Amino acid sequence: MAAGALDGIRVIDMGELIAAPFCARLFADYGADVVKVEPRGRGDRSRTWGPFPGDARDAERSGLFFYLNTNKRGVTLDATTPDGRDLLLALLRDADAFIHGMRPRELRALGLDFDALAAINPRLVMISITPFGQTGPYSDWNAYDINAFHLTASGMRYLGRPGEAPLEPGTFIADFYGAYAGAAWGLAAIIGRDAIGGGQHVDVSTAEVIAALFTGAQNIGGYAQDGVYETRSGVGMRLGAPATIFPCKDGYVWMLALEPGQWKGLARAMGDPDWMQLEQFLDMYNRAQNVDAMNPLIAEWTVQHTKQEIMDLCQSNGCPTTAIYTVDEVANHPHLAERGFMRDIAHASLGDVRTTGAPVRLPGSPGGPARPAPLLGEHNAEVFGALPGRDGDAVRRLQQAEVI
Amino acid sequence: MARALPLAGVRVCNFGSGWLGPVFGQTLAFLGAEVYKVESSARVDINRRLPPFGGGVPGPDRSLSNHACWAGNGSVTLNLKHPAARDLALRLVAVSDIAGENFGPGVMDSLDLGYDALRGARRDIIMISMPAAGLTGPLKGVRTYGMSLSSITGLDSMTGYAGGGPVPFENAFADPLGGVIGAFGTLVALHHRNRTGEGQHIDYSQQEGVMQMVGPAFMDYFMNGRVAAPMGNRHPVSAGAPHGVFRCAGDDRWISIAVLTDDEWRALAEAIGAPAWTRAAEFATAPDRLANIDALHERIAAWTSGQDAAALAGQLQERGIAAAPVLNIPDLLSDPHYRERGTFISVHHPLGFDETIYGGYVKMSRTEPNIRTGPLIGQDNDHVFRDLLGIDGAEYERLVAEQVIF
Repeated sequence: MAAGALDGIRVIDMGELIAAPFCARLFADYGADVVKVEPRGRGDRSRTWGPFPGDARDAERSGLFFYLNTNKRGVTLDATTPDGRDLLLALLRDADAFIHGMRPRELRALGLDFDALAAINPRLVMISITPFGQTGPYSDWNAYDINAFHLTASGMRYLGRPGEAPLEPGTFIADFYGAYAGAAWGLAAIIGRDAIGGGQHVDVSTAEVIAALFTGAQNIGGYAQDGVYETRSGVGMRLGAPATIFPCKDGYVWMLALEPGQWKGLARAMGDPDWMQLEQFLDMYNRAQNVDAMNPLIAEWTVQHTKQEIMDLCQSNGCPTTAIYTVDEVANHPHLAERGFMRDIAHASLGDVRTTGAPVRLPGSPGGPARPAPLLGEHNAEVFGALPGRDGDAVRRLQQAEVI
Repeated sequence: MARALPLAGVRVCNFGSGWLGPVFGQTLAFLGAEVYKVESSARVDINRRLPPFGGGVPGPDRSLSNHACWAGNGSVTLNLKHPAARDLALRLVAVSDIAGENFGPGVMDSLDLGYDALRGARRDIIMISMPAAGLTGPLKGVRTYGMSLSSITGLDSMTGYAGGGPVPFENAFADPLGGVIGAFGTLVALHHRNRTGEGQHIDYSQQEGVMQMVGPAFMDYFMNGRVAAPMGNRHPVSAGAPHGVFRCAGDDRWISIAVLTDDEWRALAEAIGAPAWTRAAEFATAPDRLANIDALHERIAAWTSGQDAAALAGQLQERGIAAAPVLNIPDLLSDPHYRERGTFISVHHPLGFDETIYGGYVKMSRTEPNIRTGPLIGQDNDHVFRDLLGIDGAEYERLVAEQVIF
């Protein structure tokens, strides 16, 4: 097997739940040596979150933990004890990156603030990923993904029906978004250590990433200048139409027919019904004005066809409409099968587990999950035993003292 | 003197467009790379025509949203329909480390700017293609907008109110995200090149990047055969309740509250004043609260509805409960989190107006980016074609007159 692109980069992952572990998994996907450090005894909190096979809770059988921690080695230690802290510092002394999701006061309590770590390893890049970052009035707040997501105005602006609750899409959007940002900026910090003369602290607020890149980018300039802003409509794009979701025979499609060629393509797909020639549907702006009259006419056609029929007909006629695939439809899609995207990995407790491949394909240095997520403390002897001055006996003593 | 940034000395030729292309270049630029957008006055980027405009005056160099997402990128103009422009593009690639694009598969080849051509110009070039569904496979030609891309990832099928159908996310959140992911993939390849001297052609399928976010639902399908459906703001893997946004005092005002541990639940019950219902058996454990989540959320909404969202969030935080105000667009400028972190900044545009854009969206302790406004169309032509590529004055004038550099 070809070496991974990040071969030789050593990462200590002290993250829990989603954001920091996913960031570390991105490094692990491409060959970095990622050691996941879990609290002795309980492990990463995601071990208590499902999905579990048959919904039977078991710290070694969390699908969420598996998904976020493939390709990593796992150790346990109690960082609140002097011996545990010594072990952690020994790991960090030789690391290129330290990834975690601790708030400033939690970091300080463990003596792991960036200045302390830089003193023992000046080339260390510390990547912190939390909802609200390491500075600012909310930095020590308790928060989960949903609290971060709804601090970005994304739901209020873009998702949900007016008068009803603003929504988050059905996953940990802020955690994943922030983790990707932390991986990109953190890897640049590692690559750039020679250019700038050492490591540094990369501070990600998952809320800030989305507030800037997504909601801020398209709304803040106008609001700051003109004082006007919009909120969610629940019906897709308001300026032009059709740009929304339609029901069909077996589910839903995302329909877009804005530019003249796309609208003509939709007309061809629908068999050129007469109403599509009417003046009130002439261009995307007119159609948006008359959307209440138009949508039922389109729906009358869509409900007679399956999502795949509509997608195929529209796409082949130049209209960029797509099926809203359900999770099983995506998982079994021939496109992803041909690309070999899914991976099957054997796990000591879960058996064969299927998971997704790496997000970016690098033919010259392939990556992706190949080894299972670690069992709790699976690599204690291997990792700690390889530290300078710590042989098997020393590791056994740490075990007996309940440090690891 | 400008401070040293991590990617100092790295040059990027950005053929990207839309909303993904700019964020790809911008991320590398904020990290210190020298990035040039390749565009043309022959077909002005549609995003340059997006209102609102600086000072309210329409113009291709005045679109505020365009500036926010392109800030950091430079700009050169090449009319790529012209063969001479293609040669100039390859000369720029020859002095670049990275070339990025997000057309559909085959478009760069049709411009004679495919990977083989780029590698011919620069042996170790890192090229990244960022189409909707990748460079291979039966869906490779699929046409989507950023807004609809997530329909082929599974995510849209699980976005909406509990018990209902999918609700459209009204803007392309996957676009700027794709720019970040593309930048990450490129940096992985840059590290590889620094060690081995080898370039490569990266295939970033936006579908596969967004599918990572759907991972927990895929695991539930693979392990239990369960197919996810819209769940509102409930916890994505049902690990706890209450979990959602709750109406507060005022017009369209809400607070987000998440309870994942029994300690958090006890603290919330106390904050509410420990009324009898908080001690009811139906809410005693996390599985109980999840089983009775509608009734639980109604009770909490009844309690939050008269209260100020920001003040209540502060009070709940004092008890260690995960709560935060739900913001709208104006709040982004006034919220103390974004103000203290300098998320949004005002910059002066050379055409004479001030505009508010975002700065470094990740905070670096030693290498804060230099933020300038988005590029004027062709602002770097002189520097790139004369200084960098060494085209002499007369030749340059001829290329401009013939609308090659255009």
